[in-house]
Amino acid sequence: MFLQKPTSFLVAALCFCLLFTSLGPLARAQKKTAPVEATPPPVREEFKFGNVDLEILEQSELLDSKFERDGLVLHDEAANAYVRRIGQSLLPKVLELERISWRFRILRDPQPNAFALPNGSIYVTTGLIFLVDNESQLAAIIAHELTHVMRRHTYVQNRSNRKKYLTMNIMAAVGAYAPGGIVGAVITIVTTVAPFILMATVYGYSRDLEREADLKGVDMMISAEYSPEEMVHVMKLLDKDIEGENIRLFYNDHPSLDERIKYLSSYLGARADKVTHQMELNRERGAYFEIMEPAMRHNLQLSIMAGRFRSAVFHAQRLVDFHADSENLFWLAEAYRTLGPRSPQLNEKELTNSSKKDAAKKRLKRTLEEEENELLATPAGKDNWQRHQQKAEELYLRALNAENPFPAVHRGLGMLYEKLGRANDAASEYEKYIGLAPNAIDRERISRRIEALRRTQN
Amino acid sequence: MRLTNTAVGIRPRALIPALITGLILALAVLLPGFTSPIHAQFLHPKITSKETTVRTVVVLPAKVNVVRDSMKGPEGMVAESDELSMRVEKMIAEVLSKQKNVTTLSPPTPPTSPPDQGGAPENYSVADFQTKFDDLLPRIMKKRSDVKKGRFTMGDEVLNLNLDKNTDAIVFIRGEGKKLTSGKTAFTMLVGGMPAYLRLHIGIVDARNGDVLLYTDPIFGGDPTTAVDRLRKAMEKGFKKLPAAAAPH
Repeated sequence: MFLQKPTSFLVAALCFCLLFTSLGPLARAQKKTAPVEATPPPVREEFKFGNVDLEILEQSELLDSKFERDGLVLHDEAANAYVRRIGQSLLPKVLELERISWRFRILRDPQPNAFALPNGSIYVTTGLIFLVDNESQLAAIIAHELTHVMRRHTYVQNRSNRKKYLTMNIMAAVGAYAPGGIVGAVITIVTTVAPFILMATVYGYSRDLEREADLKGVDMMISAEYSPEEMVHVMKLLDKDIEGENIRLFYNDHPSLDERIKYLSSYLGARADKVTHQMELNRERGAYFEIMEPAMRHNLQLSIMAGRFRSAVFHAQRLVDFHADSENLFWLAEAYRTLGPRSPQLNEKELTNSSKKDAAKKRLKRTLEEEENELLATPAGKDNWQRHQQKAEELYLRALNAENPFPAVHRGLGMLYEKLGRANDAASEYEKYIGLAPNAIDRERISRRIEALRRTQN
Repeated sequence: MRLTNTAVGIRPRALIPALITGLILALAVLLPGFTSPIHAQFLHPKITSKETTVRTVVVLPAKVNVVRDSMKGPEGMVAESDELSMRVEKMIAEVLSKQKNVTTLSPPTPPTSPPDQGGAPENYSVADFQTKFDDLLPRIMKKRSDVKKGRFTMGDEVLNLNLDKNTDAIVFIRGEGKKLTSGKTAFTMLVGGMPAYLRLHIGIVDARNGDVLLYTDPIFGGDPTTAVDRLRKAMEKGFKKLPAAAAPH
């Protein structure tokens, strides 16, 4: 018989494997093109906790305290109270759920992201706060996350994963990111501390659970009188890739985002009972920026520190457009100064997947200084550098001439002049800074720089 | 057309002895190394030329994370990881003190006062430096030997930590490990796979200019939460090349 020969058996096995692997994507593609259902799945009111669920719950509590202890939680009372108010307004009034205590917090991370832990802790990052335009958009994200907790999605997904051996994917994710890495402190912690929670909360739940969270989120927004169409707008904002990063998180997974925009638009079309006037949205935007301004400035500092210079320029410009005071002008100047020889925007070619992969590899091979030096050796890099330093100087000087000049402007100017080789000017700007801010946290660092500059002059 | 192995020039039977020999050789080389600590150390030229001597250090909170690997996937061990982090931190201070006469000063304590009284920024600055090291670490790991060329630095921003004036260096500790459940251990023994292990990444950074003075990444096999002796041994070997400071009078 044909299969009795070992070689024939091998060929048969190969054919089976080929057929199997080619049918898989086909089946998935069919699933993708299936018509979008605009009806939310039925509500699960009761939930019985098992030992596995209680373990996840315990880990969530420990993660909460770890974020706090590691200095990742933003201590801006006004911003935290604002996020808390949005969260509370979205929650159904008579809702009482076992083992959930609602907490709304902001994490100091420039990567736009949000996630919920099953114990009721909802986290939004400063990067996300900066990306959204108004309260309704932030409410959209929070409503989505609240649904994950209310419908116990973390437990549901965990039980399902344990059955399906999806753990291989978790291990792949853990292997790819641990330890450290350039994905932000929050992800690093969740990755290495609680691998399952990472999968569900940061990379996203199953497609069905995400859809339920989106659609239920829209309902919650309508009940709380937020503009539901802002759910779609925020998805579009999240689709923007300023840094050309090759990091796939739930909130920047582009194919999924496209699909979500489609079914949300379809759902809203069916029940567009509230469409907000543009003027009302603008007013909302103004109020949002006013409350979140300190958190946004903090995020600029984090972005620059994390080497996300393009994001820093983009966001600082938005802040200056909203309110051109000395501090905001200073941050825009800082963003341009640190952008250095890089182009302010990535071109289409740089945003392709292969270019992003190459860039990610290069980022691991070079330090920021080496990247700058490499760019400075090119005519385009030199041109960018000159333009950005000039722009930064103009902005610093504008910040100095504005009302209540921000002391750190002198420090920024000092650093700019030091880089330009103007030692005397740099030292005198640094001295002005120390004079205006004698208790500054970086006093020691700046004093040493002054000493070094004065030494070179003598 | 019938496709046979001989048609493409591959004779599987001829490969089997070579594969078995290769496997045995690989096991012979890897296994003894893995059960006893493997350590690599890379020193900045300033240390090898004795231009800089590390006498006093501040050890920043360690971030060592372990997961429990069971047949149903990895599970977090948040509490055990925290405990291990503290143990590693303490042990490193002891090893540095006993073997290298290095004094450990207490790290800047995160303030407990409310943020409007200036509490938050200091807490942030420690967290931000930890993140900065996390950013630099994959680059160091990519080419560890470049520490010997003095290629890596965290910049003079380290001065913002406002440490004691006598501090020579700051110690950053990271680590990841895996503990296996009994079921998974049996499965690993039968089928193969990664055994339980702990790998540390220790960076010593100049407290004045941020240069990475030493990088070492000891690794050992065994349960990371209980193998205290192996952990100590791994650390002792990890700092072997670091020149000792003069003993205090």
